[in-house]
Amino acid sequence: MTAQVSAAPQATSRPGTPNDRRRVINRRRMRNLGIFALLAGPNVLLLLVFVYRPLLLSFYYSLLQWNMGSPVARFVGLQNYVRWFTDPDTPQIMATTAIFAVATVGGALVLGLAMALLLNRKLWGRGVARTVAFAPYVLSGIAVGMLWLYIFDPRYGLLSTLLGAIGVDSPQWYTASPWALIMIIIVYLWKHIGYVALIYLAGLQGIPQDLRDAASLDGATKLRTFGSVVLPLLGPVTFFLLITTILSSLQSFDLIKAMTDGGPLGSTTTLMYQIYVEGFQTGRAGYASASATILFIILLVITAVQLKYMEKKVHYA
Amino acid sequence: MSSARNRLTLPDRRLARPTRRQLLQLSGLGAAGGMLAACGPSLGGDDGAEEPAEEIDWASIEPASEITWWSNHPGETKDLETSYIEAFNEEYPEITINLVTAGAGYDEIAQRFQAASGTDEIPDLVIASDVWWFRYFINGQIIAIDDVFAHLEVDTSDFVETLFSDYEYEGKHYAAPYARSTPLFYYNRDIWSAAGLPDRGPETWEELQEWAPALREHVPADGQPLALSIGPSWSGWWFSNIIWGQGGAMSEEWTVTLDSEEAIAAGEFVVDMYNGENAFAGFGSDTNADFQTEIFACLVGSTGSLTGHLEAADFEVGTAFLPNGPADVPNVPTGGTGLAIPSSRTPEQQLAAAMFLKFLTETENTAIFSQETGYMPVRTSAIESDTMAEVYEETPQFRTSVDQLQEKTRVQDWVRVFTPGGDQIITDGIEELVLGGGTPEDVFPNVTTQLDRAFEDNVEPYL
Repeated sequence: MTAQVSAAPQATSRPGTPNDRRRVINRRRMRNLGIFALLAGPNVLLLLVFVYRPLLLSFYYSLLQWNMGSPVARFVGLQNYVRWFTDPDTPQIMATTAIFAVATVGGALVLGLAMALLLNRKLWGRGVARTVAFAPYVLSGIAVGMLWLYIFDPRYGLLSTLLGAIGVDSPQWYTASPWALIMIIIVYLWKHIGYVALIYLAGLQGIPQDLRDAASLDGATKLRTFGSVVLPLLGPVTFFLLITTILSSLQSFDLIKAMTDGGPLGSTTTLMYQIYVEGFQTGRAGYASASATILFIILLVITAVQLKYMEKKVHYA
Repeated sequence: MSSARNRLTLPDRRLARPTRRQLLQLSGLGAAGGMLAACGPSLGGDDGAEEPAEEIDWASIEPASEITWWSNHPGETKDLETSYIEAFNEEYPEITINLVTAGAGYDEIAQRFQAASGTDEIPDLVIASDVWWFRYFINGQIIAIDDVFAHLEVDTSDFVETLFSDYEYEGKHYAAPYARSTPLFYYNRDIWSAAGLPDRGPETWEELQEWAPALREHVPADGQPLALSIGPSWSGWWFSNIIWGQGGAMSEEWTVTLDSEEAIAAGEFVVDMYNGENAFAGFGSDTNADFQTEIFACLVGSTGSLTGHLEAADFEVGTAFLPNGPADVPNVPTGGTGLAIPSSRTPEQQLAAAMFLKFLTETENTAIFSQETGYMPVRTSAIESDTMAEVYEETPQFRTSVDQLQEKTRVQDWVRVFTPGGDQIITDGIEELVLGGGTPEDVFPNVTTQLDRAFEDNVEPYL
């Protein structure tokens, strides 16, 4: 009887049977799920509609022969992919894409770090210099491209005048095949190193001064301190920048559109630009979608490889 | 270390043996994918053609009260186009017209128009350039205007025949001419005089080649006698003149004929013009500006640039017909843009758009458009109108372009203007000749293959 009396409060506060306990747990789970849905739902919905939906649609369209704008299409399976891999232009497009990516990513990281080291020093007008360095990054790519076209103009451009002053003829930036790509790379770096420098600057300022002091007390030179202390501790920042700049470089479009339209002779046509040409100029929406899917897979593989192999070498402070 | 490895392999195990819930999730994803796919184009066989639309009894339709017009304001005509709308509203105050700047050029408008296909963001009247309208047509995006024009009693026989015929396919017209142009030969009369040349354009390309050494003495070292730029919507246009002048063509209807002797000769002439021993052609980032600043002595440019040259040049600008080749045939292509009415709009909107299109192309309005820009008057009655007579008297250069239009023009080769991407493919081929050191024997077979593929993929299934 006593046992029954003392058991009664327990029965009201805790379910006695496993079924009751499961019901309570499920109710809690449902409540948590509801809160999660309420908080994350809008974002998830936006991602589904504006990221995953186009992604899935693009893959679906890559299996069609479809004129952009036409209400009808024909299912052709993997034909667009076969054509892409057998197209005689593909090797040049991939080579241009690779050269552009390596030059812009490597250049942006090296020059951005150098600029960050400079801006991290106690200089007069440092705040203004930081702002000026970052400003190109927020400008429209089309506007930047148009502006630099004037600078590079072999006949009237500022660069031509400067080169002329030292007795050097201006390269034919628009019409000679290696120079057009070099021109785009230069402008891309000008636009993006401010962003890289800003992120590196934040990383530099997060490195404890104690570590540098300790290295200095141990007799390390500035170069040694940079190589053995600063650079390794910037690992996470470099890793982050490597991923974001590769993605940004491979998706670059605006400068190419504004400055060269992919020419001359296709020498500045990257995979991203080919997608635009095929989709919107030629109107082969299916083929363009196949190219887009291939670009997506390339980006996915690069990111996965970076995460798998490179992250291990990153030192987190 | 071991636990870390276990953590890493855990997802694989779960995927290898999915739970019932995971299977349900995956099937949900699949269903979602299917639903999303259903939003795209409908799947058909080889024949993508739609059922013919029912004929509309235009007499029973009331025009819509508001329509939208997508334009790039060719020849910097935004103010002029706005004034047309105001004038139209004096006659039809019940119809509001929204003028939208839908792109900086014909290509941008076309790309936007195609991207908007299937949405409500489609205009009621749209720019349809010579290399784009046919693509709108095969995609079923525009209507034939013959019936609605007949209802509105538009005198289509008064349109300059070549300009209206450019929009014809199988007996129906899919646009009306608006800002139409042809290439024109411009020359610097001061340089001509200094070089001791007669005050006229060259009769033939051969004659220009003979004149070139005398002209070269009067241009800077980085200049050339002739400015002839290369690029999309341009190279293929002037190449039409060269190849027709040789007696050839880029195609006979859909059959590419770039393997003919005449075509090869035309390609070789292009190589000679830029890179031969007696080369006389060059280009810059802005050949119009380069001509105005006397870096080049003459220029092949659009008639639409005439007003700009007359205003900007500090020298006397002369105009002439494009030079002939060995063959005595019409050898001047037409170009520029017309206006088309989208098929997805309601009959009420289409009727209102057609009424405005009729207004835009009326004799006086097309004459004013020509007067302001240098584009062609699209009606024969406008060519001889008082407005144009005043223009010819003030600036005789206008007369040259109009005479050339009537005497020398010919409808363009289908493969350039009808094949999607055809112009770009031909442009790439000409770039290979001019910049890449290619020969027509090497380049044209590749161009032909690409044009054939574009036709087979993007035209044939839809016709």
